[in-house]
Amino acid sequence: MIEDDIYRASSQYRLWSYTEPSLQSLRATTNAVASERVRAALRRSCEAHQSTATSAAGTPLPESNMEVKNKDEKDVECLTPEEELVLVRYYCEKTLELGETYKPPIPTMVRATAIQYLRRFYLTNSPMTYHPKSIMACALFVATKTDNYYISLRQFADGIPGDTTTEDVIAPEFLLMQGLRFTFDVRHPFRGLEGGVLELQAIAQGQGQPAPHLPYETAEDLQQGLLSIAPPPVPSSSMSDRIARAHGTTRELLKSAAQMTDAYFLYTPSQIWFSAFLLADRPLAEFLLDVKLAPETDENGLVNPLYEIRSKLHHVLTECSALLQSYTPLSSDPAQMKSLKRIAKKLYHCQNPEKVNLAAAQKRESTQPSTAVQSDAGIVTSESETERLAKKRKLEQEQKVRQEDDVFGPELVTQRTKQ
Amino acid sequence: MALSPFGSRSPSMTVHSPNTAIRLRATAAQNSSTGTASAAVSKPVQNGDRELTEQLNIDVRERYVKDRKVGEGTYAVVYVGHLRHDPSSLVAIKKIKVNAEYKDGLAMDAVREVKYLQELKHPNVIALHDVFSSKDQNLSLVLEFLPGGDLEMLIKDSDIQYGVADIKAWMGMLARGVWWCHENFVLHRDIKPNNLLIASDGEVKLADFGLARSFADPLFNMTHQVITRWYRPPELLYGARQYSGAVDIWSMGMVFAELLLRVPFVAGNTDLDQTSKICEAFGTPTEENWPGVSKLPYYIATDKAHLVPLQGRDFFMRQFPTAGPVGADLLMSMCALDPRKRSTAVQCLRHNWWTIEPRPTKNEDLPRKSGGTKKMGDDLTRRGGELDEGMFKSAARQLDFGMK
Repeated sequence: MIEDDIYRASSQYRLWSYTEPSLQSLRATTNAVASERVRAALRRSCEAHQSTATSAAGTPLPESNMEVKNKDEKDVECLTPEEELVLVRYYCEKTLELGETYKPPIPTMVRATAIQYLRRFYLTNSPMTYHPKSIMACALFVATKTDNYYISLRQFADGIPGDTTTEDVIAPEFLLMQGLRFTFDVRHPFRGLEGGVLELQAIAQGQGQPAPHLPYETAEDLQQGLLSIAPPPVPSSSMSDRIARAHGTTRELLKSAAQMTDAYFLYTPSQIWFSAFLLADRPLAEFLLDVKLAPETDENGLVNPLYEIRSKLHHVLTECSALLQSYTPLSSDPAQMKSLKRIAKKLYHCQNPEKVNLAAAQKRESTQPSTAVQSDAGIVTSESETERLAKKRKLEQEQKVRQEDDVFGPELVTQRTKQ
Repeated sequence: MALSPFGSRSPSMTVHSPNTAIRLRATAAQNSSTGTASAAVSKPVQNGDRELTEQLNIDVRERYVKDRKVGEGTYAVVYVGHLRHDPSSLVAIKKIKVNAEYKDGLAMDAVREVKYLQELKHPNVIALHDVFSSKDQNLSLVLEFLPGGDLEMLIKDSDIQYGVADIKAWMGMLARGVWWCHENFVLHRDIKPNNLLIASDGEVKLADFGLARSFADPLFNMTHQVITRWYRPPELLYGARQYSGAVDIWSMGMVFAELLLRVPFVAGNTDLDQTSKICEAFGTPTEENWPGVSKLPYYIATDKAHLVPLQGRDFFMRQFPTAGPVGADLLMSMCALDPRKRSTAVQCLRHNWWTIEPRPTKNEDLPRKSGGTKKMGDDLTRRGGELDEGMFKSAARQLDFGMK
C-alpha cells in the first residue's frame, strides 16, 4: 500500500476530482438546468402578479396579457457558466476576509475548507438559485464544525459585520451538506508543504536523509548539493532564511491562488504545494525533486530509471503552476471588479424568486403541517408566497436604485480590514 | 496528472457517480416530462419546488426501505432495512435525532461520524453506504448491517468459550482497523468492546466515530475528555491536550486484556480512581519512566513510600498466562505508560505474536452468539464516550495485581 492508494480512497479523489473537460461540462449542465428553472419561476411569479391585477381590474384583454408575458420572457437573461464562476470566486475571496474579522481570526485551514465547500456546492448549484452571499457564512460555520475549530452559532453570527442572524447562517446548512454529498473532508496542501520545508531545513543543517532508492547519498552530499544550487529569485542572507522565505511565499499562494482557482478539482494536494513551491523558489523546489527522484542523469550520464515518472510529474507541475500563476484577486483588479458589478446586476434580474429567503422559507415549512404542502392548499400557499416575494423584489428594486453603485448592498467587510 | 474519480464501494453509488453531469441531465429531463415511472416524480406539487441536489437526496432515500426499529437512544434511532430492489441486502439505518436544545445545526457527533466514515473504507471499519436527509431534515446514515453483536457480548457471556486463537483473530482485525484509521490521520478516541461490532461472517468492525478527529497539527490543542474511562490512557487522565494515535493503542491494549481476563482490567469508578488503578497495575508514572509527565495539568506526584515500580515483562506473563510470553510482550508494548514508548499500530501489526502458534481462528470458526441485531441497535444509538452503567457491575471483581 502506498500513499497514492490512500489518497485514492478519499472522497476528495472519489467525488471531487475532475478533468478539465468534465469540470466544464458539469458546470454547463448546472447552468442550463438552473436557467430553465429560473425562467419558469419568473414566469410563475409574473402570472401570479397578473392574476392579482386581473381580479382587481376585472376582465383583461387576452392580447395584452400575451404581450406582457412575451416581453417578460424575453427580458430574462441568465448568467453564463463563466459569469457564475466569477461570482463564486468573489465570494470565496470574501470568505477569506470574513474569517479574518474574527478575534482571533479563524485559522487559514478552516477558511480554506469553507472555500472548497463553496466551490464544490456551486458545481451542482447555480448562484441564480442560491445566492452565494447566503451560502458563504454557512459554509464557514460548517467548516468550523468539521475542522474542529468550534465556535457557537451565536458567537459566529455576532462576528459577521452587519445584522446577520443565527437563522440566516444556519438556514442553508442542510442544503449545503446535500450539495457536498455529505462529504466533509477536504485534503489541503498545507501539511505537505510543512513536511517539505522541515525536510529542507534538516538537509541544510546536515541532517538530511536520502530517499530509500538512493542509499549511497550521505547527509553531507545532500547538504553540499543544497548549498550549491542556483541563487534564489530574491537574495537572502542564509540558506535557512531562503527556505523560510520560500515557505512564506508558498503559503500565501496556497492560501490565495490555490483556493480561488480549480486547483483542488484538478490536482492532488502534493502536486498543488509543489507547484506553488516552484513558483516561490524554482531552484530550491527542483533540488527537493532531485533528492526525491534523483536527477535526470547520474554522474556517469546514465538516464535515471525514474525519468519517465519525473517528466510526467514535471508536466503536471508546470500546468498546475501556470494555473496558480494565472490568478489575480478580483478586488485588486479594477477591470475584473467592473465586470463583477455587471454580473451582479445581471444576477439581480435572474435570481430565482422562490429561493430568496431561505431562513424565512424554513420557518414557514416548520410551522406548517407537512401534509398541507402536498395538498391543493399547498399550491395556494406557494402562489401567495410567490406574490409576496414579487412585492418584496419590487420594494428592493426601489431601494436598489438609491444605492446603484453598491451592487451587493452594504460592504460585508469594511475597507480597513481589507488592507 | 488530472485525476478522474471512479466508483466507490457503496452499493448505491450510482447517484454519487462521477458522471454527475449525465445524472443531472437525466434528472432535469425527468422534471420537465410528466408522469414518469419514478415514485418521487409522481408527486407533481413538490416536484416543481425541487432543486437537483434535493432530487439526488430523494433518489438515495428512495433506494432503501426501513423494516423495523432495533434500537433507540437519546441520540439516534436504528432500523434494519434493505435495498428496495433487493430485499436480501440488509442495511442498518441510523437516524440521528434532532436535539431541540442544540441550536447550532447538525450535532458534532453526527458531523464527525459522517466525515470520517466517508473516508475510511476498510474491512475492519463499519461501512457507510449512504447518507440522506428526510423531509424533517433529520440525517440518516445507511450503515453496514452487523448482526453478530459485539465483543462485549461475547466477553460477558459465560456460556461462550473462547481461546487464545480466537483472541488473536479478533485482536488482529481490531489492530488492522486501528492501523487504517491512523494511516488516514484519524484518531478514533472511543475504542472499547461494545464499539467493536461483528459481521455475519465473523469479521470485527470498528464502529462509532462520534468522537473521532483528525490528527491535530503540532502544538494545536485537543480535548482530553475522550475515550470511555476504563479504556482511557494515563496521558488523557492527566489532562494532556496534545496527543497521538498512542491513545487508541492504549484502548486496544485494554480490550486485549479484557478479552484475556473476561472482565475489564482497570475499571475505575471515577477519573481519579481510574488513574490510581492504572498506577497500581502498571506502575507509578514518574519523570524517570516518563520524561515530561509531571508537567501535565492533572499530574499528582506520589510520595516515595507509595511509588509502585514500573511493571516488567514477568508481571504481564504472570497476569496474562493465557496470552503466552510473546502475547504478553505485545500487550505490554500497548500498555507502556509513556505514550512515546507505546507501540504504534504498525509496530503492533509487525509483532511476532501474530505468526507464532496458535494461528488465529478462521472467521467462520469464531465463537458467535445470537441476538446480535438487537445489540447492534443498542450500540449504534449510544452517544460516544458513554459508559453503560452497570455494564460489569455483577462481573466486576477486585483484581489482585500480585502486589501484596
